[in-house]
Amino acid sequence: MPTLRINGQSHLIDAPDDMPLLWALRDMVGLTGTKFGCGIAQCGACTVHLDGKAVRSCLLPIGSIGNQAITTIEAIGDTATGAKVQKAWLDIEVVQCGYCQSGQIMAATALLNATPKPDDNDIDAAMAGNICRCGTYVRIRQAIKNAAVSA
Amino acid sequence: MKRLLLAVLAVIVIAGAGLGVWLVAIPGPTAFAKGATVALADYRAANPTGVPTELASADLVARGEYLTHAADCFACHTAKGGKAYAGGLAFNLPGMGTLYSTNITPDRATGIGNYTDQQFIDAVRRGVRADGQHLYPAMSYAAYTYMTDTDALAIKAYLFSLPPVAAPAVDNKMAFPFNQRWLMAFWNAAYNANAVYRPNPSQSPEWNRGAYLAEALGHCGECHTPRNPAFALDNRDKFAGTITAGWRAYNITPDPTSGLGAWSDTDLATYLSTGHAEGHGGAAGPMGEASDNSLSYLTQPDIHALMVYLRSIPATSGGLPQVTLAPAPASYRQGVTPDANPRGAAIFASACASCHSWTGVSSLSKYATLTGDRAINDPSAMNVAQAVIHGVQRKIDGKAVFMPSFGAAYSNDEIAAVANYVTARFGAEGAALKASDVAKLKDQSE
Repeated sequence: MPTLRINGQSHLIDAPDDMPLLWALRDMVGLTGTKFGCGIAQCGACTVHLDGKAVRSCLLPIGSIGNQAITTIEAIGDTATGAKVQKAWLDIEVVQCGYCQSGQIMAATALLNATPKPDDNDIDAAMAGNICRCGTYVRIRQAIKNAAVSA
Repeated sequence: MKRLLLAVLAVIVIAGAGLGVWLVAIPGPTAFAKGATVALADYRAANPTGVPTELASADLVARGEYLTHAADCFACHTAKGGKAYAGGLAFNLPGMGTLYSTNITPDRATGIGNYTDQQFIDAVRRGVRADGQHLYPAMSYAAYTYMTDTDALAIKAYLFSLPPVAAPAVDNKMAFPFNQRWLMAFWNAAYNANAVYRPNPSQSPEWNRGAYLAEALGHCGECHTPRNPAFALDNRDKFAGTITAGWRAYNITPDPTSGLGAWSDTDLATYLSTGHAEGHGGAAGPMGEASDNSLSYLTQPDIHALMVYLRSIPATSGGLPQVTLAPAPASYRQGVTPDANPRGAAIFASACASCHSWTGVSSLSKYATLTGDRAINDPSAMNVAQAVIHGVQRKIDGKAVFMPSFGAAYSNDEIAAVANYVTARFGAEGAALKASDVAKLKDQSE
C-alpha cells in the first residue's frame, strides 16, 4: 500500500504494489486527464512525469515509484515549461479529437525540460512514441518549436 | 601405381573408421565427472531419483505431477494455443520434413488411454510406441531413459488423471529415408544408453540429484548441447550452446565470458526458478517456456542441486563476447547514435524507447531492462530478432510479463535494422542482420 506524491500532494493508495500507476491516477485519485490508450506502452496517451521525466503510466507499477514526484496533465500548467507548452498548443490549435493530447503535452514538456532548443531529430527521438490518430503531428512539431522560442 | 591406389584406399578406410568412431563414441552425459558410477541399488547416499522430500508422502498423482513438470512433457506435447498435452506441435527439421508431437492425454481413441505400464515405459525410456514402431528422437527418450521406471509410472499416473482430449495425431511429413521409422533402431543402438541413471559416489548427493534433474528429467542438453551429423547430442561440447528452432540456446557451462561463470549463486538460482535475474535479463522463446512450464515448479533444494550440477560442467569458452554491464547514455545523441543506423534508431524511438528507455535500463519494469542481457550481447542478434518477431509472453512469480510481438507490424528489413541498432547501443557488439536473415529466423521458429 504505497504512498504516492502526485502533483505535490501525498496519496495513500490502497492497492497492490504491482498495479500500474494509470489505474491509481484515474480510478483511485480521480485524475482522469491521463488517458488509457493501448495499455502496453506503445501509444503514449498515458504519459506522466516522474521527477520531470516522461514515463508511460500504464505499465509502471506503483510499488516501484517510491518518493519520486509524479506530475500529471492536471498540474503541468503550474510549471513554467508546462504553461508555455499549453499556451503554444492553444495558440495554433494543435488539438483535433484530443484523446492523445495530454500525453503529447507531457512528452513535449519533458523534452523541453531536458533540451530547451530541440531540433527535428530531438523532437523525433522524444515524441515518436506518442501516436496521434488524427495526424496532428505537423502542428505538434510547430507548437514545440514555438514554445522553445518563447523561453 | 597399384601401391598408390592401395595407400589412398587405406587412408579412406582409416578416415572412414575414424569418422565412424567419432560419430558413435560419444561420452555419456555425466562421463565428464571424476569417479566411477554405481548402480542405483548400490548407492548409499540420498536417493537422487523421484520427488523432493517435501513430496515424499504425497500421493502418486501429485508425485507424478511434479515429475511431469520437471521432465517438461508439456513443452512439446502442447500445440500453441492448443489443449494441454493434446499434441500437434510442429517440429520443422530442415531437409528432413516436419514432425508433429502426439496426444498424451488418456483419450483411448487418439491419446494413450490404452497404454499399459510397460508400453508407457517403453515409449518414454526406449522410444518404442505401443504398436512396436519406433519414435523419432525428437521425443527425448535418450534422456528419459535415465529415469527410473517408478518415476516414469508416476508421470503416467498424473497424465492419466487429466481429462482425455480427442485430438487425432497429425500425419508427419517426412521425406525418404527419414520416413522409415525402423531406421531409428540403428540410431538407438548408437545413442540411446537404455540404462537407468547411475549415481556417482565421488560426487555429492546434491550433485547426483542435479544430474538426475538435468539429464533424466529436464533434458537441458536437448537444446543446449550441439548435435553431431547424426543428430545425437555431442557431449564433448556439453552445454556449450547451439541453435534450436531459430533461437540460440546459450552456453550454460561455467565459462566466465561466454557461459555462466560470472553469475552469482543468487542470480543463477533466481534465473533457474523464475526465468529472470536482475542484471542478466530474462528468458524468452523456448527457454521462457521451459521456465514457465517446468523449472518454475521445482523446489528450492532442487533448483540448488541443478545449480551445483551446472557449476561442475567442463567450461567451454569462445563464441560470445563479454556482456556489457554499463547502461547506454540517457540521450539518444550519445553512445551509439542514430547516424550509424537511422532506420533502426527511428523504430527504437517510436516502438521501443518508451518501455526499454534510451539507457537500456527500463524506467517501467525490471523485466524490460536490456542492459546485461545475454541476447542483447549476442552479436548474431538472433534471439533479439526472435523476441521482436514473437514478443514475450511469460509468467514470473504468477504475474504476466509481456512484450508485444512486432513480426506482423514491421518488415523483415525493419526488424533487422532495429535488432542491429539495439545490439550496438546496449550490447557488446552490433549485429549485421539482413532482411533475408530475419526471413530465415521466421521460417525456423514458426
